[in-house]
Amino acid sequence: MSNIISIHSYRGGTGKSNTTANLAVIIAQSGKRVGVVDTDIQSPGINALFGLEQSELKHSLNDYLWGLCSISEAAYDVTENLIEKIEGKIFLIPSSLNAGEIARVLREGYDVGLLDSGFQELVSDLELDALLIDTHPGLNEETLLSIAISDNVVLILRPDQQDYLGTSVTVEVARKLDVANLMLVVNKIPDVFPMDEVKEKVESTYNTEVAALMPHADEMMILGSNGIFVLEFPDHPVTDALKQLADRLVEE
Amino acid sequence: MSGLFDRLQNEIEGREKEDGISPLDLAELSAPLRKIIRLMLREVELSFDRLWEALSGTEDGEQMSKDELGKMLETLAKQGWLISRGEKDRASYKVNLRRKPGSSLAQGIWSALDDKIEKREKADPKADGDE
Repeated sequence: MSNIISIHSYRGGTGKSNTTANLAVIIAQSGKRVGVVDTDIQSPGINALFGLEQSELKHSLNDYLWGLCSISEAAYDVTENLIEKIEGKIFLIPSSLNAGEIARVLREGYDVGLLDSGFQELVSDLELDALLIDTHPGLNEETLLSIAISDNVVLILRPDQQDYLGTSVTVEVARKLDVANLMLVVNKIPDVFPMDEVKEKVESTYNTEVAALMPHADEMMILGSNGIFVLEFPDHPVTDALKQLADRLVEE
Repeated sequence: MSGLFDRLQNEIEGREKEDGISPLDLAELSAPLRKIIRLMLREVELSFDRLWEALSGTEDGEQMSKDELGKMLETLAKQGWLISRGEKDRASYKVNLRRKPGSSLAQGIWSALDDKIEKREKADPKADGDE
């Protein structure tokens, strides 16, 4: 059975899409077939990390939700777009960046059941070993659905008071939904913060394991979502943390 | 009838009949019902036998007979939360997820946005990434 992994955060700007894209690459480097779905329909963007332009999209997740194509027709093999050859495959299912189409989803809503069956169709049609779901921040239908069907849920937060408060809500919901493996990732930790203390504080606050601590990295800011960090900076501490996290997700 | 079965039947019947269940409702369900719905969401469609097999050996499964599970699924289907196909032991079920509603923002806002997008696209068809 394929490993379904949801990547969430209560607030925006925590590095969800970057983490998702980098995890997908690390998992695929070991020869696995990985799918990435951008369910952040309201504010999509993970396609930029994989070098996929809106103008290259014949179909998107939006078209699938409107019954205009199968979900596999909205899947793009982005493996060749990476700066380095990898053993496995990565398929991206992007959401549309077209303003009119985003507005249509917001205005009309959509069939959530199609999203659920679409995830399973992807796993089967593309013979995926892992499916990563990148979500919109906060709690909504897509978030709750992906938490409910996932084997692993990664919850990202920054060392920030607003993140702390919101994350407790999401942890509570994930617990209620009996998620098999819930992991916290603390991202963008300033250099001056002792990592051990951050880990201890977060773990004791949420009574949940911190699976990775990622320091703030100027290199990430400079890269500006214009590529995959772990391929550009293979020896960086953030890369090490992401690899550790990927190992945990695959072994679970 | 077992206590668990009665409790779950009451929980289901106590809710208003709706055209499906929203993922937002999941956290509010009792643990055994949530387990059934989650199993079905993960598999998309689940036969009665497969569901019974998945529940067997769990605490909830041991508290419920096959007949009681069948009745409970029937009630869930009547409630509009499940869609059933086939009958009794040959039946299969899938969760009837409610459509995500559109925004409740005033329609005027959407038509103003549509007008703006249309004008921009007419002025520069490539501006929004259209092919």
